[in-house]
Amino acid sequence: MEPVSGEQVNEQPRMDERGLVELDDSIPKVAEIDGTKAQFDAKDMTTRKINAELRWLIYEQGIKDVTVLNPSARHSLGTAILARCRIRFEGSLGYFGCGLIDGPEIHITGRVGWSVAENMMSGVIVVDGNAGSLAGAALRGGDLVVRGDLGARTGIDQKGGTIITLGNAASMTGFMMQRGRQIICGDVGPGLGDSMYDGTIYVGGKVAALGIDCVPGDWTDADTELIGRKFSSYDLGEPPELQKFVCGKKLYNYDSLEPSERKLVL
Amino acid sequence: MARMDEVREPEKVVSIDAEYLSGKRFPYQEDISAIEDIDLMALTPGEDLNWLEDVELLEEEGTPAVFDRYSNSFLRIYFDIPEGRENEIARKVLMAHLTSGNSYGIRLKEIHAKFPQPELGPWVEGSKMTGTDWKPPVLEGWEPPDH
Repeated sequence: MEPVSGEQVNEQPRMDERGLVELDDSIPKVAEIDGTKAQFDAKDMTTRKINAELRWLIYEQGIKDVTVLNPSARHSLGTAILARCRIRFEGSLGYFGCGLIDGPEIHITGRVGWSVAENMMSGVIVVDGNAGSLAGAALRGGDLVVRGDLGARTGIDQKGGTIITLGNAASMTGFMMQRGRQIICGDVGPGLGDSMYDGTIYVGGKVAALGIDCVPGDWTDADTELIGRKFSSYDLGEPPELQKFVCGKKLYNYDSLEPSERKLVL
Repeated sequence: MARMDEVREPEKVVSIDAEYLSGKRFPYQEDISAIEDIDLMALTPGEDLNWLEDVELLEEEGTPAVFDRYSNSFLRIYFDIPEGRENEIARKVLMAHLTSGNSYGIRLKEIHAKFPQPELGPWVEGSKMTGTDWKPPVLEGWEPPDH
């Protein structure tokens, strides 16, 4: 169809044969920069362009604070940022948002799809809405704070860091968790902490069913200090009364089998 | 026939630590005064210790050590650690190691980083960028197959 004269026509991005990868890797350079702050509208930009713009601002322009307007639930935004900075997404993100980061403090004002903060090494991610399944999958360090609810398998294979939700979490939360902490203020679905190796899960509401080898733990002063510090840091109000769950350590004989394997989960 | 515990295999490394990778010790492994001034809160994102919360004092072959996840190796600590400050000291030694660029994982970035990133990671402001012109290594004498 021929474009109608006088009507603005958006140029279609050139994609690979599968229609998944945009081939043009040029940087849009459209952000409004004010000192160390920047802002740009992602409404008509593809995922690759948005991420390229973010990296250009943070790595090459020395920007410390970026606001992205209209992320429109695109997938894989804000990934692999390896520098200290602040990023604010005004809206929702799709799946694999803000994965593989090391250093940024990110605020998402909407919701996120599955696997937010996947493999985060360090940093902070605060989500004002809900998060899909696999939030904090393989998390290595840093804090993931979700003010809404979480989907299934939150913190699967978690190896460090802290996941906090003010809402509920679905089934298999903390599945195969190896280290780190989860603070679930609401209810939790069945299979909590199933096959966990280590780490701690705090639950404020009802637990539908514990997973294999997940057992109640003894509360200590260190738990009180941790909970108080995290709630204070993120201005989450008064923490609810929490139950603590840990690994029963009946499921595996990890140390006697292969001591050097311990290093791999640190 | 030699017994198994008598067989020497010097090329077989069963425990990798930072000294093995770098070939030397660093001052902050031997002198507590070299790390006392490190501000852990300033070096980590957010309002608290963030990822350092998971870093604790461990032990490697009987020596106190901290694990450097960026090079998958232990960094041994040879000075006396004051009681009650074990984890704090471990974190400070680790950060001294990372911010100085001595971590083996950081040293590898210059050659192997495939996309732009600060060489010294997120801890050092103004660190130079690396990985901006990565090219796949070519094995000498190797030709791609004809198919």
